[in-house]
Amino acid sequence: MRFASFITKFFLFALLLTPAVAAEGGHKLPLYAEKIPGLIFTNSMIMTWLAAGVLIFFALSASKKISVVPEGFQNFAEWVVESLYDFLETILGDHLVKKTFWFFSSIFLFILVTNWLALFPGVGTFGFNMDSSHPLPFLRGGNADVNMTAALGVISSLTWLFWAIQENGIKGFLAHIFAPKGGGKGAMAVVMIIVFFVVGVLEVVSIGIRPLALTFRLFGNIYAGEQALEALLAMVPGFLKFAPPLLFYFMEILVGFIQALVFTLLTAVFLNLICDHGDEHH
Amino acid sequence: MILDILAAATSEIPAPTGNIATDLGNTLVYKFGFNTPFFVAQCINFIIIVFVLKKFAFGPLGTMLAERRERIKAGEEKLKQIEIDLAETEKRTAAALEEANAKAKAMISEAQDSAAKLGEEKTQEAIASAQRILTKAEEAAKADREQMVAELKADFGKLVATATATVAGKVLTDADHATINAEALNVIEK
Repeated sequence: MRFASFITKFFLFALLLTPAVAAEGGHKLPLYAEKIPGLIFTNSMIMTWLAAGVLIFFALSASKKISVVPEGFQNFAEWVVESLYDFLETILGDHLVKKTFWFFSSIFLFILVTNWLALFPGVGTFGFNMDSSHPLPFLRGGNADVNMTAALGVISSLTWLFWAIQENGIKGFLAHIFAPKGGGKGAMAVVMIIVFFVVGVLEVVSIGIRPLALTFRLFGNIYAGEQALEALLAMVPGFLKFAPPLLFYFMEILVGFIQALVFTLLTAVFLNLICDHGDEHH
Repeated sequence: MILDILAAATSEIPAPTGNIATDLGNTLVYKFGFNTPFFVAQCINFIIIVFVLKKFAFGPLGTMLAERRERIKAGEEKLKQIEIDLAETEKRTAAALEEANAKAKAMISEAQDSAAKLGEEKTQEAIASAQRILTKAEEAAKADREQMVAELKADFGKLVATATATVAGKVLTDADHATINAEALNVIEK
């Protein structure tokens, strides 16, 4: 109990102190990823490639000596794939999961690996002008770059649109958004048509905002986590710098996982909602 | 071009225009560093990762998992069929055993009857055989006795005749011999 209380107080204290430390001109991570001088790519893109390398290594290792009776790394890879499949099947159902599993599981693994790689020592701490108010680290968390999260948000929305139309047809897709549900006769039918048309317009706005919401939810959480870690590092001088952010690292591991899960879950739920015809049968 | 955009990203955000889309775009570009080439590059990065994962991880592993699921399903179906077959075989075996038991019992009973009958026959045969042997033995003994008696009678007659000839001092004729023998035998037989 005392330990839990201490942890809570520590986090609250750290959260309160973080903006203050950052505002003082301490070690503050910029909002945007920056190009490494002399190169044509940004520091966050390097992290994206590292994540890609890890995932490609995972994929190649998993399928290297594939056999019906799994051994070694294949066991782990199968556990990952099967767990994701079972999880997504509960959301999407048997039909949709077969069609879209590869996409959602790729999104989850990519975000997870990118988030966790950003917690490795050296990311955000080595670079140019690191003691100034405008540091330029060599490495920056992949998802702490709005270009990356926007790419994920836009691609997710486009695939959502593609599968939604493929499953419903254009007519069915529009009917799913605008058509009145539940029936009704006479004047009630007219009212229902108007109400559902307005709801449909709101739904279109909601669909239009989704990529932006997905982009900034992921970016905000990851950037805030990195900023908090940077600020906590700056709290204590010298070799004791490791102590303040230590507990936050554990939280960031959890946040990295949760954000990957939330992004995947939301995109999967959005697809399931547009492809779900359950309401028409009841 | 990239350098210009990057330069724009690091500069101050322009004053709000009142147009939501323009202001949002300005915020994205100038405050958060949204950059079209980098955005496209990140899209390409992600698409490559998805492609690699689909081709080398989810594809082969998914196929393997599906194949294993099919094998397990087929194995379970086979197991069920084997259980059904086993139950049927056990039933058939039990029926066959029961039938064999009944047949064996009948055969044993038949064999016992047959053995008893055969034993009886053999016993009777043995008894008859023994009887025959006994009869033959008795007949033989009787013949031997009669022969011995005849020989004894002849010898005794000769002895008596010889003794009579010796005592009487005369030579006996064949008729004398016959008379003496007959009298001697009468005496013996009495």
